[in-house]
Amino acid sequence: MASGLAEAEKNALSLHKPVPGNGPACIRPCRAAIIGRCGNHHRFASMRSKAESRRVRLRLLMTCLAGILGTVLAVSCRRGDGGAKRERPSTFVFARGSDAEKLDPADVDDGESVNSMRPIFEGLVQFRSGTLDIEPWLAEAFEIQDDGLRYVFHLRHGVRFHDGTPLNAETALFSFARQMDPEHPAHFENASFAYWSYLYQDISEVRAAGPMTLEFRMHRPNASILHSLAVFPAWLISPGALETYGAEMPRYPVGTGPYRFVSWKPNQAIIYERNPDYWGEPAQFERLVMRSVPDNTVRLLELKSRNIQGLVGLQPAELADLVSDPKFTVYRGPGMNVGYLAFSHFCERLGEPKIRQAIGMAIDREAMVRLALDGYGQVADYPLPPGFLGVPDRKPAFRYDPDGARLMLAEFKDRWKSPIELHTLNAPRPYFPDPLKIASLIRSDLEKVGLPVKIITRDFKSHLHVMRQGEFDMGLLGWTGDNGDPDNFLSVFFGSWAAKKGAATNISFYRNSEMDVLLLAGRKETDRAQRQKIYEAVLARWALDLPLIPLIHTEQIAVMRREVTGFKLQKTGNIRLGPIGWESMGME
Amino acid sequence: MLALRTLQKLALLALVFVLASFFLHLAVNAVPGDPIALRMKNPDPEKVAQLREQLGLEQPFLVRYGHYVTDFLTLDWGRSLISGRSVLDEIGEFFPATLELVLVALLVGVSIGLVTAFSARWLQWPALRTVSLSLGAVGLTVPIFWLGLIFIVIGSYALGWFPVGGRFDFANELPNGRFFVLSAITSGSLDILVVALHHLALPVLTLALYPAALVCGVLQARLHDPQLTFLLRALKAKGLAPWQIWFKHVLRLMSAPVITVLGTNLGALLGGAVLTETVFSWPGMGRYLVAAVLNRDLFVIENGLLLVVLLAFVSVSLADLAALVANPLVRRGVRPV
Repeated sequence: MASGLAEAEKNALSLHKPVPGNGPACIRPCRAAIIGRCGNHHRFASMRSKAESRRVRLRLLMTCLAGILGTVLAVSCRRGDGGAKRERPSTFVFARGSDAEKLDPADVDDGESVNSMRPIFEGLVQFRSGTLDIEPWLAEAFEIQDDGLRYVFHLRHGVRFHDGTPLNAETALFSFARQMDPEHPAHFENASFAYWSYLYQDISEVRAAGPMTLEFRMHRPNASILHSLAVFPAWLISPGALETYGAEMPRYPVGTGPYRFVSWKPNQAIIYERNPDYWGEPAQFERLVMRSVPDNTVRLLELKSRNIQGLVGLQPAELADLVSDPKFTVYRGPGMNVGYLAFSHFCERLGEPKIRQAIGMAIDREAMVRLALDGYGQVADYPLPPGFLGVPDRKPAFRYDPDGARLMLAEFKDRWKSPIELHTLNAPRPYFPDPLKIASLIRSDLEKVGLPVKIITRDFKSHLHVMRQGEFDMGLLGWTGDNGDPDNFLSVFFGSWAAKKGAATNISFYRNSEMDVLLLAGRKETDRAQRQKIYEAVLARWALDLPLIPLIHTEQIAVMRREVTGFKLQKTGNIRLGPIGWESMGME
Repeated sequence: MLALRTLQKLALLALVFVLASFFLHLAVNAVPGDPIALRMKNPDPEKVAQLREQLGLEQPFLVRYGHYVTDFLTLDWGRSLISGRSVLDEIGEFFPATLELVLVALLVGVSIGLVTAFSARWLQWPALRTVSLSLGAVGLTVPIFWLGLIFIVIGSYALGWFPVGGRFDFANELPNGRFFVLSAITSGSLDILVVALHHLALPVLTLALYPAALVCGVLQARLHDPQLTFLLRALKAKGLAPWQIWFKHVLRLMSAPVITVLGTNLGALLGGAVLTETVFSWPGMGRYLVAAVLNRDLFVIENGLLLVVLLAFVSVSLADLAALVANPLVRRGVRPV
């Protein structure tokens, strides 16, 4: 384009034939004269008129620009008043990175869908806020009978679903029957109800034992079933929702919670309003909005611009200036998750437990927490979070010892002629906020002890597929617990029944009959002390074979405006906005 | 001539449809891993097999391809594996958002390009010339997500003039129509119009810069072509008023490349302006399709992407035909001035 300009100028100059002295006026358009570079020109009357008309055009353009600017300003000023809100806003706006997938508690497994439904739905029991203890909720009381083969729930009186349907044994039964019975009208064709065949597999029958009594019968005792009944697939949906919305029911949630559903604009927001007939403490905001703001930086700017009052999904590195800002509270707490390095059973080069132990010793997990998590997390000593039943206080058999690892690996030197493949995902998951960084830290640690590593990166779904096939040497993956029970981690990782190609959660394809016996015994045992012993034995067995090495537990992070009250991080990772309130600070 | 070209384009459209649908189907099936099993945290093989059977995924490749083509043509696009909603409904929700954004952005972009290029030539003002030259440089090189963030930081955060993102305020009732600006105009509601435009402003500016730069660049070269000077003089000698010269003759002469820019950009953006949509939390096709690809949402990928491919082709073809109508020289295959 610059050459075009030069050419045009040259052309204009060639058209212009300078006239010496006070010759006749130049009548040809002369660009050089116009832009003031022509020294041979005098300004004649005819040229003046041109210059004038230029000024007129310029003035016209300026007027246009001023007009546009004025309009913009006028429109903006209209917005100026909504800025500072010191009083409690009538609407609480919360933002996260992605939207819910569907609003059917029985057929989701992503955190955002669960968070979106939390203000609407409630279960028979729930986790006491901030803990993994069970408290009766829509059931006033419950009894465990027949040595754990029968659970009887006495429902709370006077509770109504948002559509007016009263809560009783019949209406409560609906939510369970639709998951169990493939012929049920609400057992939708394209829904998987994946949790029913997983957390609730030991339930054989659910029935109304009285007008306000719901009874669960079990195939065999299962110590974690009460915890499972506090998890989202067991939340109660109004049977009226099926009548009103039919197959569209997953889009129109009707529960008993403190807020009721108003509308859902996919990829924008879900809007709720206060449930005026709530049986418990009424909600403090008239409206609740859960927005999806995909970009982290933008979400943070929304918070700072006061458009939203709370958010989740920031990375630790992005929190730096929020922590010291008195306008916000940063909530952080342990997450119920573990990120681990799995060794495939099908990889013969890593066949000896000794090699896997050496790899565990070579990886500096303290550095991983510091560098990849910015300190927002902790080293995972065991394949389940600390505080779980059966987790010993002492550190496990291996600790960071690169020299020891080098010695142990030297024995198998000829095996590492070609690099070991480390498979990793490329996008953040709750247990690995930065999986690529973690993979490269592992590679550099292992290469220091003489083990060459090649990193193979895939998108999450493709990676998950490879992991579930067991077709890898080492692979990074993680697990977020559902119900806070050790079985929910240990059976998932080590049960031989979870090692089915293509559908495995036991991605190491670890099979050990002793382990299976222990895991099944742990599931059945209802005595806490006995159970603890069983899980200690499970972890001892794990430490001998090391089919996987736990790396880190990440923390959950949420940021709220300082005025927000009543917010607590939950162990399960769900965001509970139902009980939050607002206390004006009187500052600013 | 025009009719012949139209027929040619229609034939091409059919070819594009067959090729695009086939390769899309091939690609979707070649990706390893079963989308049904990968949806579940703890998959149950029996349930997975049952769902695959229900969805017809166990049939042979060509049979499924046949179903896919007929289903697409009869608008029976199935349900999303993720949300369980009808794909047609979902596209009906996200596509208008993208269309509104893209159309306004192209309109604004082309206007900016036209105004800058023409006024630079018309006013002969060197500073404006620099502006129009740098618009080309900036618009073509600055990455869109960065520009969007800068606009947000300045326009929304520092000055507080514009909303940070989203399509509408949740404090207000959302408009009924799918095109907010249009429904605000038809319902005569100034309030809704102001809010909708307010939300559109920054994403439109972000998205408009690229077409503005393109238009400005193309016109720049043509407007400063020395031959144009002769034409202007000839038209002036003919006794035409300046506005007639510029708006009836020069603008028409210059319109062909502008229409082409408009058509190709519209085609490219109909699939969604992923980066702009992400930065501005805009609920458009780009975010929807990217999420579908990442989630292996089979029917959304197959039908949504095919729709986008066809629309892009139609848009470019229409622009070609329009350029043909606008400039007889193109029709004769002669390079215009």
